[in-house]
Amino acid sequence: MNDDTIREQIERVRDEAAQKDFEFAEVRYAASAHSGLMLQDGRADRAGAGRRAGLGVRVLRGGAWGFASTESPHAADWLSCLGDAADMSTVSASRQEEPVVLADAPAVLDEIHTSFDIDPETIPFERKLAAVRGYEEASAQAAGERVANLMTGYNDARQLEIVCNTRGTMISSRTVRTLVWHAITAQDGSVRQRSREIRAGQAGFELVEQTPAQELSVKAADRAVALLSAPPAPAGKFPAIFHPSIAGLLVHEALGHNAEADHVLAGQSILEGKLGEKVAAECINVVDDSGLPGSWGSYRYDSEGTPGRRRAIIENGVLKGFLHSLETAGKMGVEPTGSARADGSAHRPLVRMSNTMILPGEAALDELISDIDMGLLLRAGQWGYVWCEKGQYTCHAGEGVMIRDGQLAERVRDVSVSGMVLETLANALGASRDFELEMAGNCGKNGQSMPVNGGGPYVKVREIVVGGQG
Amino acid sequence: MSDSSIDDLLRTAEISCQAAIKAGAEFADSFVERGRDLSVSVEKNAVDSTNARTHASISVRAFMSGGTGWWSTSTNSEEAAKEAGRRAAELAKAAEPDPDFVSLVSPEPYPDVPGIYDEKIAGLSAKEVASWITDNIDSALDTASDALVSGDAEAAWQEAALANSLGVTAVQRTTHASVDVQVVVKRNGDVGSYYEWDSARRLGDLEPGELGAKAAAEAQRYLKSRPIRTATLPVVFGPLASRGIFLGLCSAASAEDVQRKRSFLVGRNGEAIASEQVTLVDDPLVPGGLSSSAFDGDGFPHRRLTLVDRGVLKTYLHSNYTAKKSGEPNTGHATRMGIAPTNVQPTPGRKSAADIIGEVEEGIYVALGYPAPDTTSGQVSALVDAGFKIEKGELTYPLEKTMVAGHALEILKAIDAISSDYREEPGVILPTARVRSMRVASGEE
Repeated sequence: MNDDTIREQIERVRDEAAQKDFEFAEVRYAASAHSGLMLQDGRADRAGAGRRAGLGVRVLRGGAWGFASTESPHAADWLSCLGDAADMSTVSASRQEEPVVLADAPAVLDEIHTSFDIDPETIPFERKLAAVRGYEEASAQAAGERVANLMTGYNDARQLEIVCNTRGTMISSRTVRTLVWHAITAQDGSVRQRSREIRAGQAGFELVEQTPAQELSVKAADRAVALLSAPPAPAGKFPAIFHPSIAGLLVHEALGHNAEADHVLAGQSILEGKLGEKVAAECINVVDDSGLPGSWGSYRYDSEGTPGRRRAIIENGVLKGFLHSLETAGKMGVEPTGSARADGSAHRPLVRMSNTMILPGEAALDELISDIDMGLLLRAGQWGYVWCEKGQYTCHAGEGVMIRDGQLAERVRDVSVSGMVLETLANALGASRDFELEMAGNCGKNGQSMPVNGGGPYVKVREIVVGGQG
Repeated sequence: MSDSSIDDLLRTAEISCQAAIKAGAEFADSFVERGRDLSVSVEKNAVDSTNARTHASISVRAFMSGGTGWWSTSTNSEEAAKEAGRRAAELAKAAEPDPDFVSLVSPEPYPDVPGIYDEKIAGLSAKEVASWITDNIDSALDTASDALVSGDAEAAWQEAALANSLGVTAVQRTTHASVDVQVVVKRNGDVGSYYEWDSARRLGDLEPGELGAKAAAEAQRYLKSRPIRTATLPVVFGPLASRGIFLGLCSAASAEDVQRKRSFLVGRNGEAIASEQVTLVDDPLVPGGLSSSAFDGDGFPHRRLTLVDRGVLKTYLHSNYTAKKSGEPNTGHATRMGIAPTNVQPTPGRKSAADIIGEVEEGIYVALGYPAPDTTSGQVSALVDAGFKIEKGELTYPLEKTMVAGHALEILKAIDAISSDYREEPGVILPTARVRSMRVASGEE
């Protein structure tokens, strides 16, 4: 189907919905085309590509939501999808506490595409492979005889999302994303350590050309080799400094999910009832900004057609706001923040983060370290999760460096840390002026995976529980 | 659904393989599916949304001198099948040769695996699915009047066909039903929460009725949680937490990871890697099992396998590719993209879970958490999501900010008891397991 046919079919479903007794209906088309390759131990023996496309229809009737999706390209199935969504809303209405009322939002007509310098589609396979091979060779050289396994991957994706609703919105957003990654397993006898680095952005092939091996594969190789001789991290409660990647994980997992207004309204957020209150130390300023050019988590419009923007979550330690969809903004009587995102056509929009970060402070890293007698610098953030309702979280650091007598000392192996969100934020003792936003990844929520980014400065905290073995 | 619809899927799979061969591939296989899911999500004791999802896909792998090309698409028309085969072949030509690739799976008879498709689940209405979760709101509120319930109920059916260029043809219909419930109670500024779930392939195996009540009762037990002092202690992993240890071990036993030297189990085949208490069986043939099916992602017939026998690692988990590469028997654990275990069943031990806890003078009990090792290094460093301090054989108070750590091989060898009683989900056995001593980090002074 060409774009005009798709838009005509979408409008036909929307117009049909407008004839019904719905308070609101949204017809969303999502299509993607991806390609990638993987080089492993010198051989690029796997190449893949594919396409997905489908339609998701959401209706609000009697204050209750119904959603249906199909991957059929046929117009008749799209109209059936509308009927399915209406039937689903009837089921939702059978157990409602209070009807859903959406926030006002003006109709938007727009057609946008993200900018990139080099269209990945114009780059031949051989050139992509040459770039990936360059990363692998640099890693192999850096790790030398310690190399056990090398994996390097390249992916690009082209996405189209068309959002059309009964308020008159019709937005077409085209996005190009590119990603490169490298993972190395280093070995010394029976000891193995694995390290991984990713660079990803809303960009074309220029992302690869602007990512030197030193920042990707060599960085991973140096870390993996160094960890072979590193002892395990200690166990217990320690003062800690979070590298920007860990600060990014912390602000996303521990705070960001708690600031999603659907969690707040469900009674599952530790931030419920705390708007306007001091929830963190003065040095903590947190924003979620979907408008950063080129960042993996950015977008112009969310999946409800609301413009994305920079939203303050914490200012000087005070909770200033939550992330909202049309529904949560309607319930709380505030402006929507453009934070409703859907993973393809098969899922309804949920409140999600974009690029979430702690803003830089004034301190130098050396100053933050200087008065710690015994603690850890935690680096190379990998993953984390939070139990929102209690605020208990964990983050996994790819490596640590012991701090002894105000100086960085020996490196220690990967380790998870844990704490309670509000305790950790209240115990923040300082933030550095150095800042990084390099935690591009996909965040999971209710079975949906969305591209997000996170970062921050070096952040010093009074204490954190370190799940080590020493 | 009818036999003709699944025959159409098989025909589509064969068309895509033929298209790949015609385009120059030496081998090709194709997986074609379609299905429908109904799901109902609940937040704060009310239905948040009811959803119907219809899906379809084709995934073709083409091989040229061992180099693999993949193409996937979300339509399964004949036209899309031909394009998928052609595109996969083009990608296989672009990929570099892999001399370790030998050939695809050859046709073999498949075992009969009953109970993985239930017309009753396939024919459910969204209203019936909704009742699984809304009934649990009521049972949670009956148990704790201030319970905040969230969760999901889902019913799904899928029909799928797999074909390859050597003549393999396989079809299957499956159904799946699940309910998960989280209950939060908030009292005097304190929060307790717990999570329960149930999952089945047959409607008769699904028992959603008491999940809300159970989760509400447990959530109240987790009020007034607190940290303990950091120490080396016995750790008892309950049924839902021990799963992380055993599944983590199975993941590390992937022959692909072993052959690529990125598993801590490299060179351990035939060695004692766990205490004699540990026997692990992987059985994809259990009638109605959650991960049961007649064939794996390569189209190889499934079979029962003893992975660990009284502590000794007996084999790695193989796909067609890894088995032929190493000359070892194929264990039938391929997915379309890698290798994975199916229904993992630890063999029960002799002591009851109550006795295993009762013998601990001082230790911790982990009810929820996922203490799986890093498959490369073997390191475990995991949060206790929900757990209790054990004192003099009794669960005393709930834990907060508490973590467990160690190396997988040391932890597995320190398992000194697996319970005789266990939680059973279709095809899956979930016992209680005790580790003699582990590093336990927490936040008390």
